[in-house]
Amino acid sequence: MRLQSLSKPLLLLAATAIFSGAGHAQEHSYTPSDIEAGRGLYQANCLGCHGNTGSEVEGANLASGRFRRASSDEELIALVRTGIPGTLMIPRPQLSYGDLRSIVAFLRTMQTNGGVAGNDERDVAIGNPGRGEELFFGKAGCSECHGVGGGGSRLYADLASIGGQRSPAALEDAMLDPQKDVRIGQRFYQVTDNNGTVTQGLLLNQDTHSVQLLNTDEKLQSFLKQDLSEFKFIPTPMPSVLDVLSATEVADLVAYMISLKGE
Amino acid sequence: MKSALKTVIASMALLAAAASAQNITSERLLNTEAEPGNWLLYHGDYNGQRHSDLTQITPENVGELELQWIWQQRSAAGASQKFEATPLYVDGVLYTVGAPNDVVALDARTGRVFWTWSYTPDTEARVCCGRVNRGLAIHGDTLFMGAIDGHLMALDAASGRLKWDISIGDPSLGYALTVAPLIIDDKIIVGPAGGEYGIRGFIAAYDVETGNELWRFNTIPGPGEPGFETWADPEQEAWKIGGGSVWTTGTYDPELNLMYWGIGNPGPDWNGDSRPGDNLYTESVVALDPDTGKLAWHYQYTTHDEMDYDSTQVQVLADIEFNGQPRKVLMTANRNGVFYVLDRTDGEFLLAEPFVAVNWVDGWDANGRPNMVRAPSPEGTFIMPNNQGATNWYSPSFSPVTGLFYVPSWLDTYSVYTKSPDGVQYIPGQNYVGLYPTMAMPALSVRPVNQRLPEEGIGAIQAIDPQTGNIVWRHEMANVTDSGVLSTASNLVFAGGREGYFYALNAATGEELWRVMLGGAIANGPMSFEMDGKQYIAVAGGSGLFVYALPDE
Repeated sequence: MRLQSLSKPLLLLAATAIFSGAGHAQEHSYTPSDIEAGRGLYQANCLGCHGNTGSEVEGANLASGRFRRASSDEELIALVRTGIPGTLMIPRPQLSYGDLRSIVAFLRTMQTNGGVAGNDERDVAIGNPGRGEELFFGKAGCSECHGVGGGGSRLYADLASIGGQRSPAALEDAMLDPQKDVRIGQRFYQVTDNNGTVTQGLLLNQDTHSVQLLNTDEKLQSFLKQDLSEFKFIPTPMPSVLDVLSATEVADLVAYMISLKGE
Repeated sequence: MKSALKTVIASMALLAAAASAQNITSERLLNTEAEPGNWLLYHGDYNGQRHSDLTQITPENVGELELQWIWQQRSAAGASQKFEATPLYVDGVLYTVGAPNDVVALDARTGRVFWTWSYTPDTEARVCCGRVNRGLAIHGDTLFMGAIDGHLMALDAASGRLKWDISIGDPSLGYALTVAPLIIDDKIIVGPAGGEYGIRGFIAAYDVETGNELWRFNTIPGPGEPGFETWADPEQEAWKIGGGSVWTTGTYDPELNLMYWGIGNPGPDWNGDSRPGDNLYTESVVALDPDTGKLAWHYQYTTHDEMDYDSTQVQVLADIEFNGQPRKVLMTANRNGVFYVLDRTDGEFLLAEPFVAVNWVDGWDANGRPNMVRAPSPEGTFIMPNNQGATNWYSPSFSPVTGLFYVPSWLDTYSVYTKSPDGVQYIPGQNYVGLYPTMAMPALSVRPVNQRLPEEGIGAIQAIDPQTGNIVWRHEMANVTDSGVLSTASNLVFAGGREGYFYALNAATGEELWRVMLGGAIANGPMSFEMDGKQYIAVAGGSGLFVYALPDE
């Protein structure tokens, strides 16, 4: 099944939703070519430390949409230009204002585009957010697991800000094919102890000798691998809405999701 | 009376210890096997084996190891300031370096500080991958340290006072020192890091007394030097900014009077279009005469590298039987995923065998030239191992007892390498690299949470049979490792990983005999020393130095 694309005006609306998704601190609007140029500059200057998704430097998660030492675009531009003494972040006086602006444009989209590798900006159908909200709390069953600013289960993401964190295409994908891209931090795990008792939960951490879960009773629980007969990642429990909802209903849900900006 | 006599004897012993501490002669450095209780060189010995002849701790009693003391660095080591130094142990004193360049002399009995000396690097310092230091060297009564701003310093070992301080390269152009210096005779030998900034690398010798430069070997040959023809850009500009950095301490064979250094990547790292040719002596081992710096031979592990597979890994020396013949071999587990054995007298290629999943090479000719089958591309190329490599600066170990080579390994990692057809512009002091490859495994981050899938890469300590390159055993870890390996004559291997576990393994079988959680990533080489008849194991985890020994009877 392939969902129908929307007409052009609505598409533009969708694009605006992405590019303004990063919140109040952004003063400028950016074009896709700004962002594309920024991606290349990021890959040449920033990726080595900050990583594909911008989250590799502890305390400086670029994908969080918040920056410890800067909030406005101009502050970010100044920060990248001057660097941070005593860290690996060297001054970059050779970058033009336009280059720096492009980098900031890309940084501002990292929340939604998944970083360097994923930039799912396909056009998808966007319906009626009000009807989507009804579906979310009703027929679609989303609210049985997901909260929106509260409610829902601790095992699953609260979606209060999801509209600022995912592109419409990624949101549609997640509903139709939840197994396709289970992000780190949302992966489920199953352990079987030597008595045959099976426990499932959200994987919080693991190492060579132990596993830390938030189990399906929403309790923190740890296991020593030496006490387990099996331990493994399992598919996310999230079901696909593919056979449950119509294309129109999916579009309505996408519309509701992108309206959730944590405000 | 009896106790007075004891005091006198104890004082004499102290005097003796103090006297010897002031006198680390070249002879002592050449004969480290005569004093296995000390750890006088970065690798323990010139041969780079990181093998201790101490045998008090055995497979039978290692389970009883007890923590003796911990020394915590003043500042918490973040991702960019890992505690990478291997301490020196000299007659009762441990000397080590907290990141980036804080030197400390510790009472090995208690962990109390004799003295500290902190160096504040020039704010122009730029290092690609961490504000780190791998350790000190000692000669006479002097310690030597390189700093991340390219300064090389001599410190009085008893007081921590600065004796001299020279600059070996401009930090604003990327010249940096992270390597532990090598001392041979009256020379201190180092080379600069900076392969991501368009440096022109070198290995140079400096006078231990004055810091005066005695000779210099250019790792990127210039006009008139052999190897220059492998920089074949028509403009003849590429060699001037060709990289060839050095950041892991060389090894030395006193009989052949040759030292062996692994040389880093060519620049720009991930786009070789501006530097056609093999790009010697990047990605090579060079055998140099330490008296003159003259090249005896070289072997290039990765030709015209575009994967940043720096070949700076330790070039380990051993005299072994190979194919039934006694051979003076050089062994190395390269970042490119391949284990090599060469004859170190002349560089003859003896063996190359991957020790992790590798897809960039599908064989070697009789001279050891690799047949390379992958390269970065505009659309992106999937290449194994990943850019951080199958291993890296983390020290391996060779045990003459088991005949096995132990290597900290990253298994099943990959990167997607992309290069722009527009090439890479050189701007002084800026990254001269191309496009950073993407990878699922964080290259430098050592955060305490691991939610990655196993297929995104795991870590292991692997034991390799140098005769065949076969993996004899593998101790897997759920996360990768930046830890070095120590082997001992009592058939033990010590190593750890990013998770913070520190292990004692059976050197023959890999069986885990003991482990402890240090609470922070292990990113340095463990070492062993003996004091007052007791064997100790020292290892850094997180920001702390942890010292273990068996309980007193």
